[in-house]
Amino acid sequence: MSLLVADALGVKVGPLAVLRDVSFSLAPGRMLGLVGESGAGKSMIGRAIAQDLPPGFAVSKGALCFAGEDLVAMPRSRRQALLGRDIAFIPQEPMAALNPVMTVWQHLDEHLARLGVANRRARAEMLLEQVGLEPGAVLPRHPHQLSGGMCQRVLIALAFAGEPRLVIADEPTTALDVTVQARVMALIADLQRRCGTAVLFITHDLRLASDICDDVMVLYAGRPAEIGPARRLFEAPAHPYTASLHLAAPSLTGPRHALLALPGQMPGLRDIATLPGCRFAPRCQVAQSDCQDGEPALTDGVACRHSALTRQITPGPKQPLTPVTTPVEVVRTEALRRVFRSAAGLFRRTETVAVAGADLLVRQGEFVGLVGESGSGKSTIARLVAGLDRPSSGRILLGGRDDLSRDERRRHVQMVFQDPQSALNPRRRVGEIVTQSMAISGAGGRRERALALLTQVGLSPEIAQRYPAQLSGGQRQRVNIARALCEVPKLLVADEIVSGLDVSVQAQLLELLLGLRASLGFAMLFISHDLAVVRHLCTQVAVMHRGVVVEQGATEAVFAGPQHDYTRALLAAAPGRGEFVQKSRSA
Amino acid sequence: MRWARSGRVIIGGLLLLVVLICAIAAPWLAPHDPNEQDLLSILLPPAWMSGGEATFPLGTDSLGRCALSRLLFGARTALMVAICAAAGAGAIGFALAHVAGYLGGRADWLIGRAIEVWMSFPPVVLSLILMVGLGTGTDKVILAIVLVDWTRFCRVLRAEVRTVSRKDYVSAARLIGASHWQVLTGEVMPATLPLVITLVSLEMGIAVVVEAILSFVGLGVGANQPAWGQMIADARQNVAAAPIGLLLPMAAIFLCVAGFNVLGDGLRRSLDVRQTELRGA
Repeated sequence: MSLLVADALGVKVGPLAVLRDVSFSLAPGRMLGLVGESGAGKSMIGRAIAQDLPPGFAVSKGALCFAGEDLVAMPRSRRQALLGRDIAFIPQEPMAALNPVMTVWQHLDEHLARLGVANRRARAEMLLEQVGLEPGAVLPRHPHQLSGGMCQRVLIALAFAGEPRLVIADEPTTALDVTVQARVMALIADLQRRCGTAVLFITHDLRLASDICDDVMVLYAGRPAEIGPARRLFEAPAHPYTASLHLAAPSLTGPRHALLALPGQMPGLRDIATLPGCRFAPRCQVAQSDCQDGEPALTDGVACRHSALTRQITPGPKQPLTPVTTPVEVVRTEALRRVFRSAAGLFRRTETVAVAGADLLVRQGEFVGLVGESGSGKSTIARLVAGLDRPSSGRILLGGRDDLSRDERRRHVQMVFQDPQSALNPRRRVGEIVTQSMAISGAGGRRERALALLTQVGLSPEIAQRYPAQLSGGQRQRVNIARALCEVPKLLVADEIVSGLDVSVQAQLLELLLGLRASLGFAMLFISHDLAVVRHLCTQVAVMHRGVVVEQGATEAVFAGPQHDYTRALLAAAPGRGEFVQKSRSA
Repeated sequence: MRWARSGRVIIGGLLLLVVLICAIAAPWLAPHDPNEQDLLSILLPPAWMSGGEATFPLGTDSLGRCALSRLLFGARTALMVAICAAAGAGAIGFALAHVAGYLGGRADWLIGRAIEVWMSFPPVVLSLILMVGLGTGTDKVILAIVLVDWTRFCRVLRAEVRTVSRKDYVSAARLIGASHWQVLTGEVMPATLPLVITLVSLEMGIAVVVEAILSFVGLGVGANQPAWGQMIADARQNVAAAPIGLLLPMAAIFLCVAGFNVLGDGLRRSLDVRQTELRGA
């Protein structure tokens, strides 16, 4: 008996289809992962269940049933009775989901009162203990006094308060650190097992979904590409897209392969409507001529006529990174400290130590990964090295000197920013942006340089005439890189530059950076929270914890034999080590 | 140019165009000298009402001055004050807001506190005190409004400058060698300009009202220059006998201020990026 059944569900906005032919069934006590890149329509499924679709969006076809009741057609009052009791949600942004003026107790009290629980205090304490929080300490707090992970635990406690039959978790760990993510996911899995709840887990991370879900459905352009047991999708993907996703994501274990960088990006809603045949065909490595003839039906969980060819999609050649042996230093920091002072009251001041004596070394042509969780001081180091901020004490030696003029400095080090939206002036054309430094120094030949730079980062020349708002996220990040490369610096400081991107776009950028290193020979301080990305890109890794570099060494050596406790914790928490959390159950 | 297609901008612009034409062409449009007194024909009703005379299309006031002529010349005063006062207040507020918002730190603290002290005086009282000290005259009215209202610009703009200055593209411009001046003029100001335009437009409407208030209490542009506030003050004594004398300048003020406000609102909606993002366009 299935709890949640979607039958050929379709969602449209105006004439454009957002979701098509979505069919799945979720039995009690099972966990289904909905995986897709941004724009695949995965969140729409969660919102369709709550009938909380954005304005203009509506279910146009098919059925969505919860325990035999039609969720779309049922009266509002009935749905309201179900939501929060039988169907609970765990949202993406834990901080934003809690009311900032209410304490944790008020949140729980309000929700439990709605559920009609008699002894609410005792019940609230029990729920918090279940999610590993200490009730006495947490109940009187306001959300801003808790960390993101603690807020997410409170939300999980709220979700499981009504002993729901179905929990929908929409990217519940995207905003959290790796170590916190592992704990939160284990908690959801544990509660699910104990309560026999069905969980719909929406994520962009195929690896995370394979780790914890029983079944996984991969969505592409609003339509299921493949659905099946998590383990089979992980070990023997049948759809070319699933296989490509696997090979596009860098791995933490095994030999290092070149990533599969799918060309282009997922089509937008308008393109989905006009593309003939299989929507994935234009990017597919094994596309055949008949892929244009109508969309393939979902048979045996695979929407592909040529799934036998999927096996031909293999990892790129083995490519171990060659370690850098030169003794020439590009940047060295010595006992670097940065303390932020802020007024805490009329006369009191608080001090926040962001960087507490960090020693870091980057040699010529070397990619050094700087990993650590949020608040560990990674971004502060990036700003200090780039020269956007001054250290409170300690030294930064650029090429052995700490007395560079501004002009020498900018030729030595440039920065690539995290958020391409904010990093590109929306009022300037791309061509102007990438050669801005030449305009400032009054150099000629800017047009030619702009075109050369755009070609170098794999963009077509006509993009020079566009504005940033007309570009996709991946294209913007390429422009961002091109601008930093304009004066051919010796060092790039890159702050989380691939973290906001989809896995296929991320693979394109990682391969681009490696290619550029080979041709231009610059060094890079690559800040990331994603250990697998760092392993793929960097020969050296430095681990930061509470403002201090606790460990720096060759990436493979550090990952194989971490010396510091924190490094061990970080590595253990990273998903995708092929350990199936729920292996025993799905067998 | 999306702003040119906005209904609000068109309506506001048309209203103001009418006022502007009246102001510029007043000497040719007005049938009389606005200060010419005809004591034999005082408090005449408009020409189309019984007792009205064709030479005074909108009637006369208690001193026998032509209401239409005074309205037309009053538009000159109103627009003059609106444009100069808004420009002056805008310039001071713009400069200080960019200094405070871009530099931050002590400059920001100092300017912020100065604004707080300044704004703790009630604006009407402050401008009345200033006018008592300065004396009457158009230039004095403008100066009073500038001195009172620059804070309004500074407050709102400072927050905007602060937001823009924290964008990564501002940091990026510094990194590739731009001076602070180049960053301010090349990156920050283009982003704050839409807000400045909007604020100036709204400030013009406020200036018209303030000028009318000051003229009404007799501390405005001076008795021998026609002004709408002055007309209201004059007509007040005879409001029972000739209510039209009060209604005409009020209508003029209303249309003018409405024009500025609708235009300002239209510009804000079409120029402000955040508004555009909210609508998802």
